[in-house]
Amino acid sequence: MILAPCRIRHVEMEQGFADVAAEADAASVLLVFWWRGIPLGSHLLSAGELPMPRSAVANIAAGAVATAVGAQVLDHGFSAPWPVRRRRVRHEPPPDLDALKALAVPLERLATADAGRPRDPEAQRASLIICTRGRPETLLRCLGSLLACPSGLDEVIVVDNDPGTGDLQRRLEPFPGVRYVRERRPGLSHARNAGIRVATGDIILFTDDDVVVHPEWPLRMIGGFDDPAVMAVTGLVLPAELESDAQIAFEWDLGGFGQGFRPIRYDAAFFAAGRDRGVPVWRIGCGASMAFRRSAFAKVGLFDTRLGAGASGCSEDSEVWYRLLVAGHVCQYEPSAVVYHYHRADWPSLRRQAHDYMRGHVVALFVQFWRYRHWGNLWRVFIALPCHYANLVYLGVRYRRDARQRLLLAHIGGVLAGLAASFRLWRKGAAETPDGESREIGARHIRAAQ
Amino acid sequence: MRYIIREIEVTEPLPDLRDSGNMADVAGYALLVRRRGRAVGYVLEPLSRNGMPGPEDLRSLIAREVGGKLLTESIADELGLNRAPAVMPRVTVAVCTRDRPQLLQRCLASLLPQLGRAREKGQAVDVLVIDNAPSDQRTRDVVRTLHGVRYEKEPRPGLDFARNRALRAAEGEFVAFLDDDVVVDRNWFAGLVEAWGENPDAGGFTGLVLAFELETRSQIIFERRGGFRRGFNKIRYGASYPANMLYPCAAGIFGSGCNMVFRRSLMLALGGFDEALDTGPPLPGGGDLDAFYRVVRAGHVIAYEPQLLAFHQHRREMAALRRQYWSWGMGHMAFTAKSYRADPVMRPIIHHLLLWWWTKHQLKEALLCLKPGGPPLGLVMAEVWGGLDGLAGGYGRSVRRVQRIREAFAS
Repeated sequence: MILAPCRIRHVEMEQGFADVAAEADAASVLLVFWWRGIPLGSHLLSAGELPMPRSAVANIAAGAVATAVGAQVLDHGFSAPWPVRRRRVRHEPPPDLDALKALAVPLERLATADAGRPRDPEAQRASLIICTRGRPETLLRCLGSLLACPSGLDEVIVVDNDPGTGDLQRRLEPFPGVRYVRERRPGLSHARNAGIRVATGDIILFTDDDVVVHPEWPLRMIGGFDDPAVMAVTGLVLPAELESDAQIAFEWDLGGFGQGFRPIRYDAAFFAAGRDRGVPVWRIGCGASMAFRRSAFAKVGLFDTRLGAGASGCSEDSEVWYRLLVAGHVCQYEPSAVVYHYHRADWPSLRRQAHDYMRGHVVALFVQFWRYRHWGNLWRVFIALPCHYANLVYLGVRYRRDARQRLLLAHIGGVLAGLAASFRLWRKGAAETPDGESREIGARHIRAAQ
Repeated sequence: MRYIIREIEVTEPLPDLRDSGNMADVAGYALLVRRRGRAVGYVLEPLSRNGMPGPEDLRSLIAREVGGKLLTESIADELGLNRAPAVMPRVTVAVCTRDRPQLLQRCLASLLPQLGRAREKGQAVDVLVIDNAPSDQRTRDVVRTLHGVRYEKEPRPGLDFARNRALRAAEGEFVAFLDDDVVVDRNWFAGLVEAWGENPDAGGFTGLVLAFELETRSQIIFERRGGFRRGFNKIRYGASYPANMLYPCAAGIFGSGCNMVFRRSLMLALGGFDEALDTGPPLPGGGDLDAFYRVVRAGHVIAYEPQLLAFHQHRREMAALRRQYWSWGMGHMAFTAKSYRADPVMRPIIHHLLLWWWTKHQLKEALLCLKPGGPPLGLVMAEVWGGLDGLAGGYGRSVRRVQRIREAFAS
């Protein structure tokens, strides 16, 4: 199945539908359906299905958005399931038939409910932190998209993780209100922590330098904190472009960054359901679109500097969510907050990314184990991951090979590198002594657990 | 052994199925769920220990099975979809029949009133009955009593001879083919107009087919194994369909020949139906699959429309059902053998199809039969046996035989 290059078409359903024409140089078209600025669903069309008349597009749209609409306007029946084993979660009852029948204008109802949400951007100060390292062009593209955001952000902090080279500070001058912060110690966690230390907001948003944000992204992320129990919010990450094979492979075969179009609330029950097999905190969201209450860092500590790009590879974000969930706080996935991510365009960088991700993932699992002695993390490393790769080999032999098989060696290499890195950390004694703020916090939690 | 079939309109108070009258030998129930008259879902369940579901059970059953579709429908309403245009280009409804006047009469009785209503709205539509190699005058007599139904006789025996006769004799831009053993839904023609309005470029339309009755074991077994159902979502089949790896060679996906519509000029340009398929006893199937396949391979779209709904009377006896599975196996494999020869580009997919059909598919079906309460293994064996026959030169033999029929009737 040849899908690259894939064109992304955003369809605002309120403005009606248009025919989708065949494009000579496109192998597929991804339709993303929106209703008044809220993304509700997507559908992939291959070139053979084109041209498609608007009426057929509209029918596809009605089906593609139904579950997301149902999840947001009905009490139950359409909620997104947690990414844990089914039998560990209480079965959700079907939707109420009378409520379904009474739903004459579901989209209108969705928009009304959305507009009626308590939104008071003045009540809480919000800081946005963007960490960057040697990519001024993409950073400036990201900042350019932020200029279109109506309001919500009180300050934007750019943390330069490679301040020795380049003239980033000078190039930031055209952007009013952007604070430039240097962090010489390499590593995304160091950079994020440096940003947090200077940030003044009650809510701290993070995004990466390789994204473009939707104008409503800051407001929607802040809106996710309506519930005082919510300590962290993540948003929907849509692909900015799908021009190359590697980008398509990342988005579909590897799952991409998006976690669907339905809001999900991750709480203590989710943690309990996943704990004995390793809580899938990496499914909560990704660092390219996340936010925390400032008080969250006071409660559970800053980003772990053993993790993240520049150190282990990644998972510094999900490890903080892990700590928050252990402490009984709530993480909220808010798909109405959208950023567009530029995936790695070529196979060598995708392979490197796959390697780094798995290395970071394994180190994070060990860190979580060392901190809390939750054996599920080790189950994931030593049982679940090997089984997963064996299954991928089987699927590749039995059915069709896709990018997961193509990147299998990179993934397994990453896991082995993660094991080695964890072993080194353990021998150095770094396993038991988390640095900085997180050490104090970690110690406090272990005491509480005892 | 029988299943109770009921229609449920969700916008009205739900009925209490527990007072469904005589419950002797009732083994289950089939519910066709409608929303404002539109068919939106089908629930087929064996009877539980507690008997028929009460109103509360029914509510949660419908919400569980049809909830997503109900929501999709109200979103479609809100977006202003599902609004059919008043009329479409002229349609000829062709019913091919052979010595089954009662069934024909029943089929026409369900069809004619709605066509009359469509005519009042300005729709050009006519009905054509093709009498295929009749042994007596009964079909002609049935048609003579009905106003506005045209009669054509096709002396050469074979369903696709009859269908091709219909293509040539029809006046409409579209020809809707119905088998005589179906009864069409009251919204059938409106469904066709809706499908055309949404897919004006389509070369063909197929519709949903549900069971007309579930009175015998063989009918229940057939419907429970999936029957002719293709779901309640509209589908547009183009040159590719990413959800199915065997597309378009697994042509059963498109729909069923007992309820299909083609653009007449397109079918004629493609050479009509293949008369060597659907010939009756030696090779009684596959003509519809072949037609769908060639339309799609010629670069045209087939639209599946659930509102184009017909009810098919399944085989009442187990022997007849076995025979039907045999004929499907044979028709499917004969069609596959034919496309293998005629369409070399698709051979890699056909290799996959053959591998799947002969191993995983039949194994799965056989395992299903071994489960307690499963269908008899003989059905699977019949399909496998038919498949072997179809692959082992069945198509070639049929081509020669049909040629002899043509020559015999030409002289």
